[in-house]
Amino acid sequence: MSLDDDIAAWAATVRLADAEADAIFQRIVQTPVSAAPVGTPRLDPSWWRGYSAGFAARMVASTRPARRAA
Amino acid sequence: MDREAEFRRMYAAHRAAVHAYFTGRTGDRQLAADLMQDVFLRVWQHLDKLLDMPEDGQRAWIFTVARNLSVDALRHRQTRAGTEQALAREPARQPRPPSAEVIAAERVSVVGEAIRRLPEDHRVTLAMATAGAMTSAEIGAVLGVPAGTVRYRLSLARRALAEALEHYDYAAEGR
Repeated sequence: MSLDDDIAAWAATVRLADAEADAIFQRIVQTPVSAAPVGTPRLDPSWWRGYSAGFAARMVASTRPARRAA
Repeated sequence: MDREAEFRRMYAAHRAAVHAYFTGRTGDRQLAADLMQDVFLRVWQHLDKLLDMPEDGQRAWIFTVARNLSVDALRHRQTRAGTEQALAREPARQPRPPSAEVIAAERVSVVGEAIRRLPEDHRVTLAMATAGAMTSAEIGAVLGVPAGTVRYRLSLARRALAEALEHYDYAAEGR
């Protein structure tokens, strides 16, 4: 046997058989797809708009010279 | 096309590559199958989003999930431990008269052991090229390395396997 034959024979031993792959496929498609979004919960866009507006206002305010105390 | 048919097409297109990737990373085909199932479960859950992507984008998304899962899995169980467990599952080799069939099986076993000893990058690359039947360009795209690097890793891996087989052949001649 050549090296390529030996490597191909090894690959055949680790590769998933069609029956195994089909069983996994069936398990997956029987899983209900959740209605709720998967992943990290996100903040409402209106929160971000308020946050950005407040941040911008504070940035602008911070560039103005501080008023002297009377 | 219905949802399940779309998923079947995507599963058929990528499952061998994903399983080969995990086999290379963990050294354990069964653990690789479990991780592959986790990846495609996420594909199933995000199918609508994936269907809006081009083919390349789908593969990139799938392998990003695969990388993250393998990092999590390896954090709990180091590759070395997986390798040792996989080795422990192999039946102990009994001394038998060396028929052609036995020699062929032994050579495959020698190759398997040598592959487990390869550096992880080389092992993953070799598994994807052989068990996953992927081209160097495809492997490079999902691993984020140039195709030339993939070919170099394959060359080093093959050299290591050839050396392991030379040792085996030398020992077998002495029997």
